[in-house]
Amino acid sequence: MRNLSIQKLLSNKIIWLYILSGGLLLGTSLLGLFLSSVTVPIPTILHIISEKVFHIGWLEEVQKNEEMIIWNIRLPRVVLAFCVGASLSLAGAAFQGLLRNPLADPYTIGVSSGASLGAVIVLFFQFSIIGLGTFTLPIVSIISGLLTLLVVFGLVRLSSRSLAVETIILAGIIISSFIGALVSLIISLGDKDAMTQIIYWLYGSVGMRGWDYVQLIIPFMIVGAFILFYHYRELNALALGEEAADHIGVDVKRGKTFVLIGASLLTGAAVAVSGSIGFVGLVIPHLVRLIVGPNHRHVLPLSMLIGGSFLISADLIARVLIAPKELPIGVITALIGAPVFAFLLIRERIGRGSNR
Amino acid sequence: MIHIQNLVGGYSKTPIIKGIDLEINKSEFFALLGPNGSGKTTIFKLITGQLPIISGSISIAGKEISSFSKLEKAKKIAVLTQEVQVSFDYTVEEIVSLGRYPHQKGILKNLSKHDLEVIEEVMEITKVSEFRKKQFRTISGGEKQRVLLAKALAQEPEILLLDEPTNHLDIKHTFQILDLLKTHQHVKGLTIFSILHDLNVASLYADRFALLNNGSLLEVGDVNLLRNEEQLQHVYQVQVNAQSHPTVPKPQLLMTPKFVEEAKSPSFVNGYEIKQQHDFVHVHFEQPLRTISNGIVGDGIQWLQHFCQVHAAYNPSNEELLQWFEQKDLPSKQTSVMMTTQRLENIVVVERQVEGIQMMIMAMSEVGMKGAKGKVNMMLFMDAHFSDGALVNGYMIATEAKMKALQELNIATSSDSLLLGLTQNGEVQSSASLENRVGKAIHDMVYSATKEAVQKNLQLV
Repeated sequence: MRNLSIQKLLSNKIIWLYILSGGLLLGTSLLGLFLSSVTVPIPTILHIISEKVFHIGWLEEVQKNEEMIIWNIRLPRVVLAFCVGASLSLAGAAFQGLLRNPLADPYTIGVSSGASLGAVIVLFFQFSIIGLGTFTLPIVSIISGLLTLLVVFGLVRLSSRSLAVETIILAGIIISSFIGALVSLIISLGDKDAMTQIIYWLYGSVGMRGWDYVQLIIPFMIVGAFILFYHYRELNALALGEEAADHIGVDVKRGKTFVLIGASLLTGAAVAVSGSIGFVGLVIPHLVRLIVGPNHRHVLPLSMLIGGSFLISADLIARVLIAPKELPIGVITALIGAPVFAFLLIRERIGRGSNR
Repeated sequence: MIHIQNLVGGYSKTPIIKGIDLEINKSEFFALLGPNGSGKTTIFKLITGQLPIISGSISIAGKEISSFSKLEKAKKIAVLTQEVQVSFDYTVEEIVSLGRYPHQKGILKNLSKHDLEVIEEVMEITKVSEFRKKQFRTISGGEKQRVLLAKALAQEPEILLLDEPTNHLDIKHTFQILDLLKTHQHVKGLTIFSILHDLNVASLYADRFALLNNGSLLEVGDVNLLRNEEQLQHVYQVQVNAQSHPTVPKPQLLMTPKFVEEAKSPSFVNGYEIKQQHDFVHVHFEQPLRTISNGIVGDGIQWLQHFCQVHAAYNPSNEELLQWFEQKDLPSKQTSVMMTTQRLENIVVVERQVEGIQMMIMAMSEVGMKGAKGKVNMMLFMDAHFSDGALVNGYMIATEAKMKALQELNIATSSDSLLLGLTQNGEVQSSASLENRVGKAIHDMVYSATKEAVQKNLQLV
């Protein structure tokens, strides 16, 4: 009886966590839509969205410019922030689980540097591919991210047949530093304008991207998230180490390959549409693990929800703090993220100390 | 159950396993023995598929091992190794649940009701349910190993591979884990194929054994394999002696280190001192002696340092004896005691060299009492080296010599105590009989000392 009630309580706790995270997401989204230089009342915001999505509206008159602001500027910004935050957090959770290293983040294995390099090249040479127009940057970025994944994979496979974790991390570091050097090289060769533009892009931003960018990231996000959700048990099993995972019947190599691909898709796409926004993928999964425990079944979806909400809030702060000017969102995430991370670290040590 | 035929395999180029044949029956506890690097773990890795089979075959229940999918294999075989490092703070229950991995079905792969029942059951069996919500990283080594065992059992395997699962556990947890496994073997018919480092533990638990050396099997058989001292000595390069377990009919091995402490070995005569106190006579040897005795304390064959003839009006209880030891500041586990109701002046101590062997005897006769059958207590110490067999021989010779002397004196005794103590210096004597000099020495010494002691006793009365 006692066990049963405890179990019930626990499953309730988890349900509550989902409800809370959903609420958090909704709240931050609304706040993101509401707070800005032009104030649109919340009922109007809801009306506009409902009208556009379901063709059901209840208000008689809505100003055209309000509709423009909400639907064409703020909503895509909020949705994009969500997608990027969710993708990075999910990828971070997966990398941490896969590499059994709490310090891993989406940028560990170098896919993001590849995506950055693509973007930097586009910014530097100021070219656009015919038929793509303004999409040149994100698409080149995604492609170079995927190419980097192939290079990393090739390097890992050539040096370790079993895709050893250490090799993956080392290959990631090698590729990252190499590409980082290339990016620095390009920046130092460019003129002042290009330099500013590149550095600003590298800091990351989700502003002024429109629905097109949302459309670009969503397929990657869905496929990546699906792949990772499907492999949550493998991620759990990997916590025992690869040998023990193999003993309970996990196809370790296959699992690792899929998780790497899924997480890389998410990271590459997120970097391509928003630049490299740091700390989200590192801190959010940690925070989620502290609350729900390490089971990836809940860590993955909750990381998505909370990571998305976190980035919406970060974006909000970035544009409200020194309005009408904007801060780079990467600065905000790091400014919030680093102290939170430090706090978590200290708390974990203290917690452990009292346990033993 | 597991059929291994002409197996060659291991790390590429140089195979570690060089052609072995092995058959492991259903529901038996099979132990694979051999020194480090002999290839035990390699055999396991060939079974689990972590290393490639170069030639030969392994089949499980008649089916070639390579034809199993990973999931099918995990349903048949579970593995328990030395402690696993678990990253992140998974709870005990979550770790055990991982054992259901090969059984989970459907797209969502949730734990079914049956899965939960199995998890519950194995946690009961391994007694880990009480800390199911604790984090795996915070529990003790013994508890961790039980959790990992629960995880392995949750796979509902037919075969369990154990790779030194008790390696860093203390004896309490080692026996706990193995008792659990043994019960499971009997109740569920689990086949256990294990690598065990500790030969004595293996002897107690396993049904059959194989001895592996340099990738080849030397012997496969029952527990008698562990009685083959020469073979074990050859394989492990350590001097081993197979002894019998005192209560279980199985051998236990005793190892002798190559390093021997330089004995200060004083001459036999200077190696002991006799102290006469008002209620006991105490002989203290600087080096422990190998003894065989039937005295009331320190009986059987063992190593002792203190030897006492004690005067007491009645036979004391155990508590009284312990108290007595404490009072006299004597180690109770290293002392031999014989009791007498007679005054200690009766004691006869003879030091002599017989047949070139230094000997000392302390005899106490108690035959003067009217109406009661008397007794003769005797402690014989000699500067010689006896095997256990020779020790028993010597004991018999001493008894016979004493009987002969008593018969000649026309005296009958009923409850004699006798102790033989050997310094274990010099060459090992593997037998003592009236045909050789150690036997003769014992005979002469005991015979004369008995007569002397009885006569002194009679005079005093």
